[in-house]
Amino acid sequence: MNTHLALEFSLPQILDRLLVLDAAELDRLEFGVIGIDADTVVRDYNALEAKMAGLSKERVIGHPLFTVVAPCMNNFMVAQRLEDAAAAGVALDLTLDYVLTLRMRPVKVQLRLLAGPGAARRFVLVNRKL
Amino acid sequence: MCVDAEGDLAQEHEALIQFVYMAPAGLVQARSDGEIVMINPVAAQLMMPLSRDGSLSNLFTALQDIAPDLRSRLAAFSSPQGMICDGVHLPAPGGTKGEQRLFSLTLIKLDDSRVMAMLQDVTWQAQRERLLRLQEAWLHAIFTGVTDYALISLDARGCVAEWNDSIGRVTGHGDDVVGRSLAVFYPEDAITPERVLDRLHEAELTGWSLDDGWRLRADGTRFWGSAMIAPQRALARDNPFAAALAADADAAETGYCLIVRDMSGYRETTETARHAAVCDHLTGIGNRRAFFDAAETEMGRWRRLPRPLSVLMIDVDQFKKINDTHGHPVGDAVLRHIASLMGASFREIDRVARIGGEEFAVLLPGSDLTSAHRVAERLRAALESQPAPTEAGPVHCTASIGIAVMDEATASVDALLKRADVALYAAKHGGRNKVCGPSMLLAEPG
Repeated sequence: MNTHLALEFSLPQILDRLLVLDAAELDRLEFGVIGIDADTVVRDYNALEAKMAGLSKERVIGHPLFTVVAPCMNNFMVAQRLEDAAAAGVALDLTLDYVLTLRMRPVKVQLRLLAGPGAARRFVLVNRKL
Repeated sequence: MCVDAEGDLAQEHEALIQFVYMAPAGLVQARSDGEIVMINPVAAQLMMPLSRDGSLSNLFTALQDIAPDLRSRLAAFSSPQGMICDGVHLPAPGGTKGEQRLFSLTLIKLDDSRVMAMLQDVTWQAQRERLLRLQEAWLHAIFTGVTDYALISLDARGCVAEWNDSIGRVTGHGDDVVGRSLAVFYPEDAITPERVLDRLHEAELTGWSLDDGWRLRADGTRFWGSAMIAPQRALARDNPFAAALAADADAAETGYCLIVRDMSGYRETTETARHAAVCDHLTGIGNRRAFFDAAETEMGRWRRLPRPLSVLMIDVDQFKKINDTHGHPVGDAVLRHIASLMGASFREIDRVARIGGEEFAVLLPGSDLTSAHRVAERLRAALESQPAPTEAGPVHCTASIGIAVMDEATASVDALLKRADVALYAAKHGGRNKVCGPSMLLAEPG
């Protein structure tokens, strides 16, 4: 019932667990979740991420992540890794330190890049560092 | 009513946030010490790959590898507000695959406590502009006053095929120049036999090969000139003079046209423009962009026809200590001293550049490990024995030097430099004021 509450940012094999959550369940997670489809269009954008970025879901969902929503990730450190994994058809689960420009403030975060070879969704998880 | 007004304001605020999020240029507001107060996503996208510590808390720190002088330029800017630099081009790593890019930086002083920066990736625009400039130079070279030219017909190997008056007028050579390589028009250290073939090959590929620089007359004096080589057939299509030359040449043999133009009168203007684009502001030697451009070209030539090619990475020993002890102006004087020693230590064909704060690099076409080691050692010794003249008196400084030699296993300029960096690290580790090359790494494991 409340299994999603047990989901932590660093939980192993988190991709399978995220794939079955609906929007309301994603909203209750305590880290930011951005889900993109095969064309890098944003399909999931949870409440915490919306709050951190200062953007409502309506402005984000349906738009390409790397050009419209988060250009700051459009480099070889993030976008290229997701692209490479998709091109090679392999799974990706990589956590890296990064800086996001949440409401124009440089904020240190951990990003977790998740992709499965056959999964329709890929995720960027955002954990705000204290 | 009040709720509606607040709702409108929130909507407006969100739209404004998204506007800045999506702005296709990097925008940063920082305090005068560089601490970043506001930054938009494109700025982070461009700057994250540059940041050594993975943070973006300070603008000057994040950009130190591509623009080491921002802090001092701001400090030296005395007006209460205004433009510190406007669209300055900075070579940087940071494309989607980490390849070399060109950034444009504008820095504005807002008041005593704040600066605003705009950063853009202008790699493609710059390439387009460069091609246009090249075409302009080509047209300029063809259609401007013909009395300044020597029109020289070359055979397939790049040797002078026949003499004419224009050769005598511009270079002072008599008809005994026939049969000699076009290298005869260059100072001894400005061209190699391989480079002659490279230029012919490039002319064949792209329709022309153009270079500006010192040229040599028969009596040994120099003049500033441009040399353009074009395959005779390609030139004949566009130019009546070349068509006449081509008609005279033996049609059975594919040859080239060489146009040597005495540009003594133009040198100052063309050199000033060239200088600003490819020279380091502090030391006057090549900048990072010029170095990487030259290295890419040399790498391409190597792939077509492997020949010795070495690179040196040079790092000033204990530079931070010099800065801390004597202050930045003295540190700058030390860098200028090193650059001037480097200028005197290498051949004209070598590319000498300052590629980072206290980091220099030299590209040595035609040099194998032995000769690269010889010149590196000569520079090291010169530095050790000649203190830098500074406002604080002579300052003794040394440098560590790493050597890498191009081979089949080296896929890119970056890879070659990384290997030179490893050798440099070994030189530092071995006690500084040393030259280390690949074989020395094998000889001294760990």
